[in-house]
Amino acid sequence: MSDADAPHDEHDDHAGHDHDHGDHAGPGYSTPQAAIEESEREQLAYVMGLYVGTDVDAPDFLGVVDVDPDSPTYCEIVDRVEMPNRGDELHHFGWNACSSSCHVEGLERQHLVIPGQRSSRIHVVDTKDRRNPEIIEVIEPEEVFEYDLSAPHTVHCIPDGEIMLSMLGDADGELPGGFLLLNDDFEIEGRWDPPGEVEMNYDFWYQPRQNVMISSEWAAPQTYYPGFDLDDVEAGKYGRKLHVWDWEEKEIRQTIDLGEEGMIPLEVRFLHSPVSTHGFVGAALSSNVFHFYEQDGEYHADKVIDVEPREHDDWDMPVPGLVTDLLVSMDDRYLFFSNWLHGDVRMYDVSDPANPRLADRIWAGGNFGPRNPIEGERDVFGGPQMLQLSLDGERLYWTTSLFSTWDEQFYPEEGKQGSVMLKADVNPRKGTMELDQEFMVDFGDLPAGPARAHEIRWPDGDCTSDVWM
Amino acid sequence: MTAPPDYAVTLEWEDGRTADLSVAGDETVLAAAEREGLGLPFGCLTGACATCTGQVVAGDLVHRREPRALKPRHLDAEYVLLCIAVPRSDCRVRVGAAIQRELVANPWK
Repeated sequence: MSDADAPHDEHDDHAGHDHDHGDHAGPGYSTPQAAIEESEREQLAYVMGLYVGTDVDAPDFLGVVDVDPDSPTYCEIVDRVEMPNRGDELHHFGWNACSSSCHVEGLERQHLVIPGQRSSRIHVVDTKDRRNPEIIEVIEPEEVFEYDLSAPHTVHCIPDGEIMLSMLGDADGELPGGFLLLNDDFEIEGRWDPPGEVEMNYDFWYQPRQNVMISSEWAAPQTYYPGFDLDDVEAGKYGRKLHVWDWEEKEIRQTIDLGEEGMIPLEVRFLHSPVSTHGFVGAALSSNVFHFYEQDGEYHADKVIDVEPREHDDWDMPVPGLVTDLLVSMDDRYLFFSNWLHGDVRMYDVSDPANPRLADRIWAGGNFGPRNPIEGERDVFGGPQMLQLSLDGERLYWTTSLFSTWDEQFYPEEGKQGSVMLKADVNPRKGTMELDQEFMVDFGDLPAGPARAHEIRWPDGDCTSDVWM
Repeated sequence: MTAPPDYAVTLEWEDGRTADLSVAGDETVLAAAEREGLGLPFGCLTGACATCTGQVVAGDLVHRREPRALKPRHLDAEYVLLCIAVPRSDCRVRVGAAIQRELVANPWK
């Protein structure tokens, strides 16, 4: 068995499958294990940088960060691709193509699709010159609103060169949301789903060989945009469901209500192995991690990690962990997740996905971690938030901003001082992590002023984008 | 049809800075501020996100469409969404990123 083999109770239905791993003429890698073996160490990171919601009179930007320790500009933001407009709230972004199209000759992983979460504007950036990417296409919000959709979130390249975005609201920022498709010329092709098939939307991950996609729920944009209000939770305006879609038919075949312990399920991560029917989702508000899996033709979701709230001298109520991001290593052995309000990032052994085992954790910033995790360097406010792992599983990076308005509520200094990007060295053989004391990227020190930093991606694909047929 | 009159709108930032704008009755405060290059914060431009929130100190402003990002308690406290707010008299408005922060607090602290 290779590292990428499924852990248990799946059958490999590869027999008769038409995806020949020898027929690899397109982008990405033929298997998750090939990604580990064939990829080079990441030298550049693409990172979302934000000024939206501050008094800095500048647009959000795509930051190019040098992560090559042998480079004279190591840990520096070596380029900033400014968006043409202010007010976007760059948040999540994705590639035009990934390993799911590895059979498509001539297609390349070269263009980043970068949505504005608040503006509903969609930017396309050409990264042919990796250190100097350039915007080549902008889809204006009015074009998006025509499909009665807004608030683009997750970008996944789907097989054969199309790009799919989860849209969290209708044209007015209310419900229902849905999914928008772009063709390989970066033009809107239309809605992927029938209007009204799903109400709340957030993240999604598809597993084409299993003919399944799972989507999660945040809330209507008009609910979460202005900030987090507990009254909205009590009014049932925040999500707690997972939707299991028939990938081919583009319809929901099952909805799983995660209940009170599954409030605000955000990032959805299937294991990378194309034969797996297992994955994880983090319920942010309930501070729990759920394991989802198929059994007897149905999907199930069980709470497998419960982060206990902690007392804090300055807080009236115990502080929830707030599991805001999670990812699975390319070899499907480890799950990493962030407790943004507590200030720790955890590493779990998920070789038995139903029974995750805590392997290690690191504290940095947040309400319980050290304010100066890197000795002699600047203060860190937000806890670990958006995570990205090197393809070989040996370096975990993270940024510290969640969402401009929510930052203002929970970490007001994040906007004033700017975010940081930190790194841990991971030993996947020993199941250990250590904060790299030599690594800090300071988004607080930029010409226009301090910026927030959000999602991170590598030019050659990463643990939160690539899907295998 | 006669053109709507222009109103004098004074913007007041938290740091004491002020700016005087002439805003037509069919123009949003944000559009007028953008025209003058004043760099007010904004996001969705449709009234859903509250990034552009200001607070009326004096005068009358009306929303051109439903201010979906504001709750009744915000409207009672004279908060306005400058991306969809048009003046109906001369007015003074508190502006800048600090105003949006007043809408919601950390519920556990």
